[in-house]
Amino acid sequence: MDKNQILDAVQNIFRDNFDDDTLVITPATSAQDIEDWDSLEQINLLTAMEKKFGIKFKLEDVRNLNNVGDILELIARLSA
Amino acid sequence: MAVYLITGATSDVGRALIERIMGPEDLVIAQGMGDLHLLDDLSSAHPGQIVSYDIDLTDPAALDGFLAEIGEKYPLPTHFVHLPALRVVNAKFKNFDESRFLLDMNVQVMSAVKICKALLPRMAKAKFGRVLFIQTSYTIGAPPKNTAAYVMAKSAIGGLVKSLAVEYARFGVTVNCVAPSMMETRFLTDTPDLVVQASAADNPMGRNARVKDVVPAMAFLLSEEARFITGVTLPVTGGSAIE
Repeated sequence: MDKNQILDAVQNIFRDNFDDDTLVITPATSAQDIEDWDSLEQINLLTAMEKKFGIKFKLEDVRNLNNVGDILELIARLSA
Repeated sequence: MAVYLITGATSDVGRALIERIMGPEDLVIAQGMGDLHLLDDLSSAHPGQIVSYDIDLTDPAALDGFLAEIGEKYPLPTHFVHLPALRVVNAKFKNFDESRFLLDMNVQVMSAVKICKALLPRMAKAKFGRVLFIQTSYTIGAPPKNTAAYVMAKSAIGGLVKSLAVEYARFGVTVNCVAPSMMETRFLTDTPDLVVQASAADNPMGRNARVKDVVPAMAFLLSEEARFITGVTLPVTGGSAIE
């Protein structure tokens, strides 16, 4: 899966999680841009990504994620 | 001699509780569903003191039959501990199947209503009874998102406990709850590891609850000396939820 495919799949997870079919994310999108993106929603997003990509995040990996770009990099690293 | 009726007795908590409270003269009537083999070790350690029943608590006829049989065969339970619950589903409200709400209510709440109707009037006549439920710290303050069916059923348990407590207080029957924070047991099988780890990291004590943290609190509320405590929910949370 290349970076664009990962971004598309992650965007679908965001859209489903935040009930917004028009949501568009970029690597720069962060919790400041999405009102409902709190720590619990982040866990929900990450568990949906674990399922989608067949990977396992560790808590220490996900505590310092600042934006979508960080998430995409982590997914790319774990699924490589 | 104490007679314990324990529903959901095959759970990690149920088994640890039996181990903790069983006295040499006591009898445990244990309910499970499809997993009674989990009581084999305890039954070997306490020969003749544990009778087990495989009963679907959501089947009213099966539950009535069970209550009738134990009513005929055994002395009136002095203690009733109700532990059954379905594993927590983490889902947004819009994605919850409505039938799941009913199933949670039937497993945890309606079964408790039926058993309490059978037992509590008789406990009142006997002027002694200890009734104990397991709630959750999710019912203290704001619950986490995405657990609506579980929180609804557990909140209903809280309402039942308070109502029964005041109605039966005069008769020496106490009705209480323990409310653990996330507890590391088989019950968490369907909960993502990340959720379990985050819960531990966010707990003021830096870890999740363990069975051995919760069972002593339960044993206390079931004890003779807890006679003046009724209608309470005792949080066992390491400080993660404080009433």
